[in-house]
Amino acid sequence: MKWLVFALRNVLRNRRRSLTALLITAIGTAAVLVGGGFALFTYDSLREVSARDSGHVVVGARDFFTGDEDVPMQNGLGGAAALQAELAALPGVRAVLPRIEFSGLISNGDKSAVFVGRGVVAQTDFRVRGVQTGFVAGEPFDAGASLPEIAIGKDLARIMKANVGSGLTLLSTTTEGNLNAVDVVVRGIVSVGVPEIDRRLVIADIGAVQKLLLTDKVSTLSLYLSDMEQSDAVAGSLAATHPQIAVRTWLDLASFYQAVRALYNRIFGMLGGIILVIVLFAMVNTLGMAVAERTREIGTLRAIGTRPDEIVRNFVLEAAVIGGGGALAGMAIAGAVTIALLFAGIQMPPPPGRSTGYPLLVNFSAVLYAATGAAVIAASALAAWWVSAKAARRPITEALAHV
Amino acid sequence: MSSPALRLYDVKKSYRNGAEPVHALRGVSLEIAPGEMVALTGPSGSGKSTVLNVCGLLDAPDSGQREMGGEPLDARPEAELTRLRREKIGFVFQGFNLVPVMTASDNIEYPLLLLGTPAAERRRRVDDALERVGLAGLGGRLPDQLSGGQRQRVAIARALVKSPALVIADEPTGNLDSATAAQIVELLHQLTHERGAAAVVATHDDRMTRYCDRVVRLADGLLA
Ligand SMILES: Nc1ncnc2c1ncn2[C@@H]1O[C@H](COP(=O)(O)OP(=O)(O)OP(=O)(O)O)[C@@H](O)[C@H]1O
Ligand SMILES: [Mg+2]
Repeated sequence: MKWLVFALRNVLRNRRRSLTALLITAIGTAAVLVGGGFALFTYDSLREVSARDSGHVVVGARDFFTGDEDVPMQNGLGGAAALQAELAALPGVRAVLPRIEFSGLISNGDKSAVFVGRGVVAQTDFRVRGVQTGFVAGEPFDAGASLPEIAIGKDLARIMKANVGSGLTLLSTTTEGNLNAVDVVVRGIVSVGVPEIDRRLVIADIGAVQKLLLTDKVSTLSLYLSDMEQSDAVAGSLAATHPQIAVRTWLDLASFYQAVRALYNRIFGMLGGIILVIVLFAMVNTLGMAVAERTREIGTLRAIGTRPDEIVRNFVLEAAVIGGGGALAGMAIAGAVTIALLFAGIQMPPPPGRSTGYPLLVNFSAVLYAATGAAVIAASALAAWWVSAKAARRPITEALAHV
Repeated sequence: MSSPALRLYDVKKSYRNGAEPVHALRGVSLEIAPGEMVALTGPSGSGKSTVLNVCGLLDAPDSGQREMGGEPLDARPEAELTRLRREKIGFVFQGFNLVPVMTASDNIEYPLLLLGTPAAERRRRVDDALERVGLAGLGGRLPDQLSGGQRQRVAIARALVKSPALVIADEPTGNLDSATAAQIVELLHQLTHERGAAAVVATHDDRMTRYCDRVVRLADGLLA
């Protein structure tokens, strides 16, 4: 306690110099926290989107995720209805949704285009995924309609000159290798915010798709859990109890999320590293001057029996006071920015490959705050050790003679 | 018979000042009994400070032997010498050398902090020391709120608060006017005697030598 008081008084000895170092530390800390908080916000949003899209745990036939198919649905999952009922009964499972991935040509009679389709259980799928599939026109279709109904991507709708109510034809290869066609009605137009997907997306009722492909299999069953954090546990126990099927978690399938995360981790990690180095240099500068000015004092304290490590410890404590003060100030700044952004409503431009922007928000993470604070204080302490270790071991008579 | 508080035997020390070595001490032998106060006099450059640095374990001699309380000191590691200074030696400097951010009390308390003395005991001894040097009530002042004489009183209290076996004082009155110097001399003499501390005091000051048990004269790195 005494030592901390002495450290504080020494810090106040040269206020302007200490304040400069403190400000640099504060701004650096705030930059790391805001940048890191933005990355965390992005991760959270993407996690959410990825998991909602794929389901928290996805099961398919053994080769579904790894193998190539010679004919459609070769790696489809048979007996899906029984498995679906079994999985739905598992604790913590909120919903199990069968899906079919298929592709083919879509035509309006005058021209045709490639589509990538998804067969889903109408209504349930839209409900479980919620806002995820954004309808720009029309509404979720129903399975019971007389003609099969579909939703299509907004760019595909433009290409097909289709509106809600337009009639189109889907052509696809059946499981037996023949071409088959089905007339459909556009009931909704959707956008997922990725132009590449909006140009090709067709969402159809799974029963209609099975008829088109001449199959009773499905591609996958998507499990939605009440707690996303249980994904690994559920996937692990499923893999153990059902060796005949392949099990994946949302994370395994979220390649975009993983790519963004890897990129941001590197960018913000590097930013953090640079800022730490700047803090280190600011501290080296500030404490280096203090050590030089106090050479005679160091000599005096050494003469009356202070050990070199105790001298160093006192400077480390001073650095920790400045670094800790700066870190706290930085946290306050970052907290203020986090709150201000909640009210500012700033939109970020669409990321590459996307057509919609997203709100600029910053997550608060206690772990990030604690880790950054610790890193900043550690860097300060390191700087203090660096500049004082040599001075503390300098011959005492020399230090005492210093003017 | 008790062993001397400090003993130097044939101590030599030279400095390398450019090409020519300066022989600061050319074979100094000196014994100081416990509780004895020795004045070290001699012209400027005669080697007084060098002797004190060797006595105070601040500097190592090139050759010769040192003993403290009968224990040989040379070839001891630096950590050991630091421990001895911490426990057994008090210093009074010409320029006071108080820590500016510490109050008078804090400065006096510092050696006790190093020794790990319990807080209550520290407070008692600091208050006692303040009173002994005539600064009762001024413990809360910072050094720059004190006069030169008062600062040197604080320094004397700092040197003696741990009841050291040996006090080293290099021209303790060098920065003081003569009236103040006289008081400081008397104080140093009185307190070292009271506590049974041996003292070596380098000085030009006749008043100082008058208070000392013995006067040793240095000339050109040799005892006269
Ligand atoms: N660090 C040093 N480097 C080189 N020479 C030194 C050093 N310290 C002392 N000397 C030399 O050693 C000799 C003795 O110096 P010392 O300081 O012991 O004398 P002193 O008696 O204390 O003098 P003063 O009365 O001026 O304080 C002098 O010639 C001095 O120049
Ligand atoms: Mg001298």
